[in-house]
Amino acid sequence: MANPTLLESLTEHITLARTLRTLRIHFDPQKCTGVWQCYEVCPIGCWTPDYERRLVEHHDTEKCIACGACVLQCPEGAIELK
Amino acid sequence: MATVFMKWLETKPKDYDRGIQILTLGRLNRLKGEIVRQYIREGSRVLEIGCGTGTLTQMMAEAGADVIGIDSSQAMLAEAERKIAPATGGGHAKFELMEASQIADRFPETSFDVIVSTLVFSEMPVEQQRFVLEACHKLLTPSGRLLIVDEVVPSGFLPKALYYLVRLPLALITWLVTRTSTRPLRDFKSTLEGAGFSAQIAASALGDSLVLFESTVIQSPIPESRPSIPKLQPKVSVRTLFLDLWTLFFRIIPPYPKFKTGLYAIGEPNRKSPVLVTGNFDLTVRRVVRALHGEVDCWLLVADSAGINIWCAAGGGFFTAEKIIAAIRTSLLKEVVDHHALILPQLCANGVDSWKIRQETGWGVHWGPIEAVDIPEYLACDRKKTNDMRWVAFPLQARLEMVTVTLGFYALMILLPMLIFWRHLFWPVAIALLGLTYFYAVVHPWLPGKDGLWKSIPLAAIALSGLFLYSATWAHLPPQSLFNWALGILALSIFTGGELQGMSPVMRGEQANWIPEGVIFAALGLAYWLGPLVLSWK
Repeated sequence: MANPTLLESLTEHITLARTLRTLRIHFDPQKCTGVWQCYEVCPIGCWTPDYERRLVEHHDTEKCIACGACVLQCPEGAIELK
Repeated sequence: MATVFMKWLETKPKDYDRGIQILTLGRLNRLKGEIVRQYIREGSRVLEIGCGTGTLTQMMAEAGADVIGIDSSQAMLAEAERKIAPATGGGHAKFELMEASQIADRFPETSFDVIVSTLVFSEMPVEQQRFVLEACHKLLTPSGRLLIVDEVVPSGFLPKALYYLVRLPLALITWLVTRTSTRPLRDFKSTLEGAGFSAQIAASALGDSLVLFESTVIQSPIPESRPSIPKLQPKVSVRTLFLDLWTLFFRIIPPYPKFKTGLYAIGEPNRKSPVLVTGNFDLTVRRVVRALHGEVDCWLLVADSAGINIWCAAGGGFFTAEKIIAAIRTSLLKEVVDHHALILPQLCANGVDSWKIRQETGWGVHWGPIEAVDIPEYLACDRKKTNDMRWVAFPLQARLEMVTVTLGFYALMILLPMLIFWRHLFWPVAIALLGLTYFYAVVHPWLPGKDGLWKSIPLAAIALSGLFLYSATWAHLPPQSLFNWALGILALSIFTGGELQGMSPVMRGEQANWIPEGVIFAALGLAYWLGPLVLSWK
């Protein structure tokens, strides 16, 4: 398979997979306005809504699969994956 | 291994260009040149729908036109941006990420002199063709031109026979080399005329199988009575049984079985019934229908996910807010229901920007449950989810299904060579493989280790003890043979352990995480296998 783009995209994929393993959620509670979209979309249950203070709490970083759903759905940009 | 295979299957923008080049034997570029020569003047305002990597966009800008190229693929646009050079002819080219169905939302009326599109309309269902043509009708100036280049099946027996004779082998070769394919347009002239356009064939190539339609606005679109919305029911036929079997073993091999996109009814929905959105992977749609039929009355909007399951399609950029907006627009959903609420599958949240849908369409977005079987209960509880509905699980049934999916791959990569070269090993290896994978699927949650690689170590330990026990009590294998079997089973265990990782929703990462280690092990194995041969070879 003399396809240079295959090798290129494989290397890219491996790098991505390797970074994926080390990605962590960074959450800025200052920016949070309590829309709880992250809680709605997290398939693992890493977020718990705090109904009184209109906030969320992030925990279980070990279980996080870095799917990025909470990052995309947060309207305030309070969540980062890096 | 699977990763290499999947990467090979992926169509890269460069592959796409190459594939189209082969399929049209270079004639597409000639037609593009024709378009630029005949229709593009200095200062023309041009919209190119589906610009791909921007070859034609650049050519038109060179000729002095102001071109906006739109495409729904981020990867294509990135390649187009990389390729584009400042136009020398005084024109200008700009790229925007957009679905064809969104153009009427994004651009003001009569804002283009020319709208061009190559090999795009043949990828759309007829309703979408009509919808996009009506949008073009609005966007063109009264004297504007709509230029569409696409593949058609030539008329007449001989040309048709010749077309299929050349086309089939060419399509196969092209797919193998570049994983690119096209399909012909059917009865496009009447679609054009229905949308209020005249339709002349201005140029053609390849024995009339690649044509350039030149259209002008002649009248307002002829109103069409809306066809009744098809009803979906679970049914079993030879076709569905074949598709079930195919997707069980060869799910990862394209072309993926696709369900026709559009709006469907389940049960007897009315103007207040909920609207559920899903992707167009055939298996997904049929599973959703099976879960909902007889339970709830609702509308099902099947949006284009490139025939891939929701989660992977969203993660890979194939299922996006644009695709869902396109489906809302094309299906004329607002004429069907009085409310403005969509229910999206929760697992597409990693790729579908719900705020974009809210802002651009005014439709509200609710995140439905992960599993379709939970939808009736979710709707009954006024769209409240329990934690069981929102958290992914990897139950036994799903694990068994997923290892079976890997078996299709094993059969191709391991068992097929066995059958050809080492036939006496076929059954022992097949039995070891089946036993190992299904045993792994059953005990997976109880094996220690947090990812596939770590779980494969206890798996290997169990499998090896099984082998030694079998040898000690029953088979009494000679030491050399026992060692070889042990090595083989160790490798298979590690492979099996890792292979399931990318297919499981609960383990992060995939096999590619340990490619360097894997390559070292593979090299050691190869040395052990070939080493004695090389050493004894004088």
